[in-house]
Amino acid sequence: MKHKTHKLHSADIGTLALFILPALIPLIVFWIYPILRSIWISFTDWDFMTPDYSFVWLKNYRALFRDSRFYAALTNTLVFTLGTLIPSVAGGLGLALLLRKNFRGNGIFKFILFSPWITPTVAISIVWSWIYQPSDGIANAVLSLFGLAPLKWISSSQTAMLSVIIVTVWKSLGYAMIFYISALEKVPGELYDASAIDGAGSINQFLSVTWPGISPTTFFLIIITMVNSLQAYDQIQILTQGGPSGSTRTLLYMYYQLGFEEFNMGKATAVAVVMIVLTGGLSLLQFVAGQKWVHYGE
Amino acid sequence: MNRNRTNPVGVVIKYVILIAVSVFTAFPFVWMMFSALKTKQEVMSGGFFPTNPQWGNLISVLTASPIPHYIANSALVSAAVILLQIVTGALMAYAIVFINFRGRQALFAIIMGTYMLPVAATYIPSYIILSDMKLLDSLTGLVISSTISIFGIFLLRQAFMQVPKGLVEAARIDGATHFRILWEIVFPITKSSFITFGLMSFISTYNNYMWPSLITNSKDKYLVSQGLRSFFIESGAYGTEWALVMAASAVIVVPLLVLFAFTQKWFISGIGGDTGMKG
Repeated sequence: MKHKTHKLHSADIGTLALFILPALIPLIVFWIYPILRSIWISFTDWDFMTPDYSFVWLKNYRALFRDSRFYAALTNTLVFTLGTLIPSVAGGLGLALLLRKNFRGNGIFKFILFSPWITPTVAISIVWSWIYQPSDGIANAVLSLFGLAPLKWISSSQTAMLSVIIVTVWKSLGYAMIFYISALEKVPGELYDASAIDGAGSINQFLSVTWPGISPTTFFLIIITMVNSLQAYDQIQILTQGGPSGSTRTLLYMYYQLGFEEFNMGKATAVAVVMIVLTGGLSLLQFVAGQKWVHYGE
Repeated sequence: MNRNRTNPVGVVIKYVILIAVSVFTAFPFVWMMFSALKTKQEVMSGGFFPTNPQWGNLISVLTASPIPHYIANSALVSAAVILLQIVTGALMAYAIVFINFRGRQALFAIIMGTYMLPVAATYIPSYIILSDMKLLDSLTGLVISSTISIFGIFLLRQAFMQVPKGLVEAARIDGATHFRILWEIVFPITKSSFITFGLMSFISTYNNYMWPSLITNSKDKYLVSQGLRSFFIESGAYGTEWALVMAASAVIVVPLLVLFAFTQKWFISGIGGDTGMKG
């Protein structure tokens, strides 16, 4: 009577393997093992060209923490992350509030606002580098329409970071908006009715009903935008290559330059480890903070 | 009473803001297409509209440049990657949701942990692995290293959790295998998540740049992003041919916009509906 006691959700080991291994093997080979291997390489002086290397313990980290380029990259990463995170999330919420009710043209606005997200960052960065051209670009033509002085955009270390941030926000605004539109739909209508009976004005209603209702989405978007910003590469590579004079060199770009231009694999992976620790730490912080102020629906 | 939400000033302000942001958002696309239709002189001289549309720019990109070849590479690689990611993702998500086994929670925790990690941190060792497998500079290497999508496993897991457990249990009692249940019960119910996943996977593979540019060297292996970049750099040799570069960008971007116009609802429901954190 074996099959009577057979648990419904169990599976024999062969079936289980067939379900799990197709994803587990690539997960180990291209994710988990490389992460561990990166940590290992960061303790060596391997240069990629020669097969031998020696174990140097914390030498790469000491060199990194004494390197002024590293601190500049860390600051750039922070500026870039906050500079893209705040406008994308706040702007996405603002647009979602405007688009929440169905009205004429609603669908077209959504289509336009979300479309940058599906187009290749490289292609649109090339378009933006044409827009940003100091002498013939349209960006300066627009500025002069408003009587403003022309900028050098991506050719000056003063404005290059701003230019990269504009492109990134342009691309991610619609993404945050879509998240918020569906989050707003899920805020229970009766809560609005109740607060309307209490005589709450629209700002009060937003603070007491809407904001708590969408806080899980805000929480999720903050993490995901942060992780995306830490990993931004395409637009930096096309627009500025980390320049001028390192003004747009983020940690990720520094990692790329150290690893794939200078072949200093030990130092490059040390930067990667710093990025892993940063992402992990920030996610953890977000998670702990989230427990306090995120209100999950019942 | 400020409860009256349809006051006309508010509506005007709303439209003004939405139109302003939409113009800003659409402008780079419009400018790309206008520039693509100008002559080399006209593009620099600063008129807004192309006076005499140079359709020849687009034709020369389509017939006399390597751009179509890059598009074909991207399409081929993304087709293979979508298929692999959907199969591996569906199997894994099914096991996590419907099969009891030791270490199930731990496995899901590890998968979620990798979701947050910076992918680039894996690139140096992954590069070495592909080099050991003699798969550098090949489309096969590109496909093999993209066999799974952590996001996709997560998306399908969320969808599978909405499938009534009773359906699966009843099928098990009737003696159905797990494969049959996945294919005949779970898949039809969660089809929309599969479509969303397929589209997201397509967009990210088709547009991918950093990883493909690290592992491919020869031009005939380029995907669109890397191909477009090399086209951009080469046409910069004697003062950038902006009209041609914009034509090449348009050839790559416009089909994606058209695809998006027809599939918008899948992206929107997928992004908003299934991936938002729910406790």
